[in-house]
Amino acid sequence: MTSGPSRPLRWRPLAVLLLGSGAAMAFVAVLTRNPTPLFLALPLLLAPVAAALTGPRSAPPVRLSLSVEGAAAEVRVQGEVVPDPTVDARNLVVEVRCPPSLLEPRPPRLEYTTSEVGFHADWTAPEPTIAEIPVPSVLWRDPMGVVERGTISSAAPVVVSRYPPELLRIGSVRLERTTPLPGETHSRTVGESGEFHGIRLARPGDHPRQINWRATARAGRTLANEYDLDKTGDLLILLDARPTPLGRTVDERLFSISRAAALGLSESFLRVKSRVGVGVFGEFLDVVPLSTGRTQRIRIESAFKGAHLSSVHAPAERCAVSARRHFPPGLTTVVFSSLSDETSEDLSPYLRRRGFPAVVVSPSPLPLVAAASHLSGEDEAIANRIAKLVRRDRIAQAWEDSPAIDWDDYWSLGKFVEFVRRPRVRGVG
Amino acid sequence: MSAPATPSGVRAVRPVSLALLLAAAAALGYLSGYPGRLGPVVAVAGVVLAAALRATPWRTVAAYAPVPALAVLVLEAVASPVGLGVELIAGASGVAFLLWLADDPARPVGGSLRSLPTVAVPGLALGIAWSSAFFLPSGSVPLGVAGGLLALTVALVAFLVGRPQFFDREEA
Repeated sequence: MTSGPSRPLRWRPLAVLLLGSGAAMAFVAVLTRNPTPLFLALPLLLAPVAAALTGPRSAPPVRLSLSVEGAAAEVRVQGEVVPDPTVDARNLVVEVRCPPSLLEPRPPRLEYTTSEVGFHADWTAPEPTIAEIPVPSVLWRDPMGVVERGTISSAAPVVVSRYPPELLRIGSVRLERTTPLPGETHSRTVGESGEFHGIRLARPGDHPRQINWRATARAGRTLANEYDLDKTGDLLILLDARPTPLGRTVDERLFSISRAAALGLSESFLRVKSRVGVGVFGEFLDVVPLSTGRTQRIRIESAFKGAHLSSVHAPAERCAVSARRHFPPGLTTVVFSSLSDETSEDLSPYLRRRGFPAVVVSPSPLPLVAAASHLSGEDEAIANRIAKLVRRDRIAQAWEDSPAIDWDDYWSLGKFVEFVRRPRVRGVG
Repeated sequence: MSAPATPSGVRAVRPVSLALLLAAAAALGYLSGYPGRLGPVVAVAGVVLAAALRATPWRTVAAYAPVPALAVLVLEAVASPVGLGVELIAGASGVAFLLWLADDPARPVGGSLRSLPTVAVPGLALGIAWSSAFFLPSGSVPLGVAGGLLALTVALVAFLVGRPQFFDREEA
């Protein structure tokens, strides 16, 4: 718990009602020379002041724990709020807010005791997503609901990522190497992120955490640990964040789905010590350079959390030129693009020309468009059929430049996983 | 762990504080100057409407529940004749209204008990005021003193409402 910003006492609308009514009655009593309204006014005038005086005189500290459980579409949020012993937990008002990308079928359940408040919320992710669950707002409010005051907690928001479960094991696929000497390479990360290899003389530039202090004491010379990292290869994940004719709403949802899958993909490969780089192409290419380890995971997660759809449609060549500047050629590249118009199809040819063998994973807009359709019956069936034919044609055109996977079931990336696991099919690309 | 604080559907009504408010409002209505039985009927109707608004599952509607209850109390107090019994009942109905406010069904049970330290302050002030009115002789001087104290109280309340940070205590 930290001493955060000041949280002053706030009067609630009920306080204004009580004080206004009390003052009005006091004046009526004086005007009519009738003390009866004055006796009714007295409790109403004094109650807000008494509530402010009997409550905590500064923002009460609370210990707040927040955790997320569940798998796939299920998001179970739970936690507890434990206030300072001087504060009755039943006077706390806890508000758990659902992020916009998740659905809240029923309001959260709150369980009160005198010492803590437990909360449970069952939310649903309608499609793969990365969502930040904000820290629940906790207010102290007097039992009458006249005054309230914010509390102080040091809890941090929790990021929940939901992506197709097939991505959890895709990291075992061996990627093309882009480093000149295959085999064991020195770990670039500080600490025990790789296999222990041996002890060597410390060099200038070694991190203090790498120094083996016991060995140094025994030998009388500064010695450092050396770790080796067996890497399977490198991967570049590119997200197409350019707008399409589908409209902002559908584009946003498809981009959100792509972000979640890209995060799942990067996590899976980082888990097996591969180097992963990320690029988000909107108007320009925002990159996270190739690296591995836990820090890289956090970097990539932050990049995806902060990524947003561009409002400008930039030329695909800009992406390829920029990618060539930041990443070595020959890198296995996975492009997430909706391929919903001709201009979004030109990303992979330009990348290929610049030396990036790309695989396009294309989240299909059809399920989203069909859900928003106002058609019904036979008209709907015909419209769906035509849309599928157009989509199939577009995927076939994209295949001419690079392998393209049509991703229409958002909770399954089986087709993509099957593709990267089968070398014969991969050879086709 | 106790029962959920925000149950779905219609919220539970806490009967004790509601009965207290109903009785106090009906008594004030009976003693008020309205003809026939209009006073108690209006009082009961207002309190029942307030309780019904509060029991609705919609938060925005429930937030307006205190208005009808307060409105009938004001209407009856304004129309009441001068008398020590009426004054006592008017003050008691104000305290009962505060207790009813504390028994919000959207919050954990036992609100009225938890609010006793708060409600005790206006209750005590009411007791002193009524005792003064009962025991002290009436006249223009006590009335002037009472009027001066009232003006001072209103000014003090206005000052405190405008400066909520007055209630903050600096951490050591």
